[in-house]
Amino acid sequence: MTKKQWKKLGEQAVPYLLILPVVVYYAAFWLRPVLISVIGSFTDAAGHLTLQNFAMVIHDEAFIPALRNTAVIVLFSVTLEFFVALFLALLINRKFVGASFFLFLAMIPMALPSAAAGAMWITGLTAHGWINSLLHYLGFLAKGKSIYWLAGSETSLLALLIVVDAWQVIPSVMIILLAGLQNIPEEMQEAGYVFGGNYLTVLRKITLPLLKPTIQTAVILRLISAIQIWLIVVILLGFSRLPVLVERIVYYHKEVRGLDISYQMAMGYTIIVAVIVSLVSLAYLQVSGAFKKERGEVA
Amino acid sequence: MKKYTSLLMLAAIMMGILAACAPKTVTVTVEVPVERTIEVPVERTVEVPVEQTVEVPVESKTLVFSSRLFSPPREQEFFINEVIKPFEEEHGVTVNFQILDDDTLLERAKIQQETGHVTTDIICAHNGKMPDWIDAGYVEDLSSYVNSWSDRHFSPAFQADTNRGDKQYFLPVGADVYLLLANNKALPYLPEGVDLDHITWEQYAQWAVNIAEGEGEGKVCITGIPMKSWIYMFGGSALSYGAGFPDANSSEAMQAWKIWETIGKANGFVPTVLNIDSCVDPMMREEAWLTVFHNARAGQVYASNETQFTLAPAPSGPAGIGSIAGVSGYAIMKGAPNHDLAVQFLEYLTRPDIQVKISKGTGGFIPPVQEALDYLGNEPIDEVISKAILVLDNGVVSGVPAYKYQDWGAVKQCFDDVFEDTILPGKDVTQDRLDQAQQCVDDLLK
Amino acid sequence: MTKKTRRNIYRTARLTAFYIFVSGVTIAMLLPLYFIVSLSFLSTREAYRYPLPLLPALNVEYKLTHGERGYLLSVYDPIDKEYQTVLDTGDLEKMSVYMKSQLGAPMSVPEIEQQIARLEHEAPVFFTRRKSLLYNYETFFKVAGTGQAVPALIRSLEICAMTIAISLTIGGMAGYAFARYTFRGRDALKFSVLFVRMFPGVAIAMPMVIILVNMGFYDAPIGLSLVYSVGSIALTIWITASIFMGIPVSLEEAAQVFGATKIQAFLRVTLPLSLPGLAACAMYAFLGAWNETVAAIILTQFNPTFSVVVYQTVLGAVGQVNLAAAGGMVMALPAVIFTFFIRRYIHQMWGGVTV
Repeated sequence: MTKKQWKKLGEQAVPYLLILPVVVYYAAFWLRPVLISVIGSFTDAAGHLTLQNFAMVIHDEAFIPALRNTAVIVLFSVTLEFFVALFLALLINRKFVGASFFLFLAMIPMALPSAAAGAMWITGLTAHGWINSLLHYLGFLAKGKSIYWLAGSETSLLALLIVVDAWQVIPSVMIILLAGLQNIPEEMQEAGYVFGGNYLTVLRKITLPLLKPTIQTAVILRLISAIQIWLIVVILLGFSRLPVLVERIVYYHKEVRGLDISYQMAMGYTIIVAVIVSLVSLAYLQVSGAFKKERGEVA
Repeated sequence: MKKYTSLLMLAAIMMGILAACAPKTVTVTVEVPVERTIEVPVERTVEVPVEQTVEVPVESKTLVFSSRLFSPPREQEFFINEVIKPFEEEHGVTVNFQILDDDTLLERAKIQQETGHVTTDIICAHNGKMPDWIDAGYVEDLSSYVNSWSDRHFSPAFQADTNRGDKQYFLPVGADVYLLLANNKALPYLPEGVDLDHITWEQYAQWAVNIAEGEGEGKVCITGIPMKSWIYMFGGSALSYGAGFPDANSSEAMQAWKIWETIGKANGFVPTVLNIDSCVDPMMREEAWLTVFHNARAGQVYASNETQFTLAPAPSGPAGIGSIAGVSGYAIMKGAPNHDLAVQFLEYLTRPDIQVKISKGTGGFIPPVQEALDYLGNEPIDEVISKAILVLDNGVVSGVPAYKYQDWGAVKQCFDDVFEDTILPGKDVTQDRLDQAQQCVDDLLK
Repeated sequence: MTKKTRRNIYRTARLTAFYIFVSGVTIAMLLPLYFIVSLSFLSTREAYRYPLPLLPALNVEYKLTHGERGYLLSVYDPIDKEYQTVLDTGDLEKMSVYMKSQLGAPMSVPEIEQQIARLEHEAPVFFTRRKSLLYNYETFFKVAGTGQAVPALIRSLEICAMTIAISLTIGGMAGYAFARYTFRGRDALKFSVLFVRMFPGVAIAMPMVIILVNMGFYDAPIGLSLVYSVGSIALTIWITASIFMGIPVSLEEAAQVFGATKIQAFLRVTLPLSLPGLAACAMYAFLGAWNETVAAIILTQFNPTFSVVVYQTVLGAVGQVNLAAAGGMVMALPAVIFTFFIRRYIHQMWGGVTV
């Protein structure tokens, strides 16, 4: 081979070399446990190959409610969180005096450990908690009366969970969007204004299209973790009250792990969740044109 | 621009240094004893090098003790300062005391045993988990030591859990039964002529109904979050009627269900009952006024304001005062690095006077050593303990036969479901529903 | 009124409205936080009052009379505006402990005896004591053991730094590759990286820990940062890839035209521009590592992380929600401080890129 060919080969190898550490890392620490649980999901208690575990999961009476609850939470929380986060990111990106401090305050909820967040909501939502106390001081609640926040219907519980989850998660969506917004040169937006666009047109025609890769990243990352919501549900309501998919994994993995079927159920749910998350993510990336756009841009 | 780059470089360099340092810190911890043994003789001239090198590692011995008991911070503080410290000073050792929940305790032991990397010496587990520990073979047989201690005899009530055959693996500590705790605001509603120290379940139900009618909402606390304590709360009432445990559908159990049905039909439970995982907080916030629960936790609420709460033995039925009794137990891990020291420490911890000291300092657990009863006095805390002992000695008491079932949490849920779908909505308890619940329990038998 | 002053007034009004709006958003966001912070300064008795006090009391007003069992102690309740009984005992030691642990306003036994002496001439006796606002924090550090909490704190910071370093280098490299190069299997690889986050972590946490123990990483900080990096590397790859994609290649090329090497161009142009994205990744990596307890409990014994120390201290804090809140705050504070510094990089003022 000539020197030129070698050089070309070397250049072609660069991206692979850049990715190599990740591949090695995952192969070392992550791949084996995953393979073990994949195999586990296809094995019955006696060690034979079977699809029965998945049948068991699907016939589990909590499966359909878990699927439905998860779907509702994901649909509403991702939408809500995205729009509020985008709004906050745009607000902070206006760089008003004090914007930087406002950003700091807005990020605090994500810095709160889940145990503290749990204590915060429990003491808030209980009958004699701080939310009712506040309503009491503001005169919305007569003395001796309480609102039972956590004793409502399933719909109101879901709504409550979505709000509580959003409070903590919005900052993490916001900082990705904000980081993306920082990269858009102001000249581009200024050009939009010069040509007579108002704020909304510039936002729609210039800012958002430029922000697209970041939006896709923010939404896909949020989507993936929203489907896997469980901790806040369990902190507020305990296990089994309002089943969601990953809560079922933890339930079989930790809470009732002594059952003959626990391991099979846990692994069955794990793989089903992994498949659902992958399908939803793929669908989102396809619909949002992530693959297409990348190819187009590169070509 | 330059500023940012240099900042980033600086950060990268710092991280690099930290990352490079990290493995070093690990090796350092391993090397410490070696370094010390070398340094000491050098510093202290050459006279007694042999003795010094032997003694130094002995002195720095650290006993690792992981416990599920004494988790409330105030109890931890007491246990560390009043119980552990005297032992440390006497023996010149350090006791590394850590609080872990039962599941984590077992999980960590599993990893230590499987990888052969045992670092924990002593564990303290709940009696419901003891069979798991013994089955897995993670704990040592302590029979020979127990037999050599003549000054103490452990209460026989818990032998089913602590022993396997003629071998004793766990040494019991901190036993508990259920007590009645009422906010004094509930006392005006007490049915006429009722003596709180001899209240029956019918009277208890009537009391709950009176409160609900008078206040416009229920005030009875039970744990409505699945897999918590409802099975024990119901179990106590069922035992009072002569049922077994866990027993959902016998005619005796049915009588007990009828008590709860009465309360449910009158909306006698606190409206937030399905969100309660422990009655301590609702009782302290005065959301709930009336409950029958765990004596140490009842003692804790009582201690928060003795003029606001009243404590009594659990209600009785035709068979007597029924109560579930629980206990925790110390055990030594197989392969414990400081085995002999661990034995010494357990000998110290289970002395009758120390057991009483622990009970008094931690809100009213029952000391499960027969000789310990001699050490009780007349202080108010003794009231809690003596009422609990009354229930334990004279009541119809059952342990938790968790070992018979695949998973105890799942058994709990069979009872939780009856509460959620029948008792709370105020429906009639039918034999059909109870048979179904019993089926649910029986299906879980090993 | 001149046109100029009118415009000024209009501008001021708009600005005021804007800041009122921003303040409104801030208050809505931080309201829950206010209550958990305030809870951590309340005494146990205050923490279980209803309605909950909006501010911790600074003093406790005591009232002492003769009681059935000895002396009856009452405290003033600022909300109900009356004295309420709390303890009836002849045991002064017990009363002293009660004042400290339940009310947060300690008095020694001799001090109580002094007040009791007054009781002979006048009944009831009133006296006021300053409340120790930091009592919960003191208790927390006493229980956690200062000798253990401080090294654990340092260790946790070390773990976080290592996690950030690992994720940013390994993840950032891959992110750059995905953003800047075309190569076979790029989309598939990029998507499969994301699969790491899609696979429910709870199911594989234990097997992963066993692998690390077998590799000799038991009780070692580096072991934990290896676990924590698994999730944050994937995140870093995606965030950095999208950020690098947003930075025009032309800027780097321009730098090369002016004689910079490819690496110099990257370091001088692209890297500073991607700083907000890298900072966001660092933030994720830090928080993930800082707050994690499940793996840390299993993987450490003598060298616990700070989260484990907090977990062990407040695990059984039923009936002491104020103490749990204090533990939560101690845990949150370093994370909040980190946030305070990292925000400067997430929100950098656009200085204009000069090549």
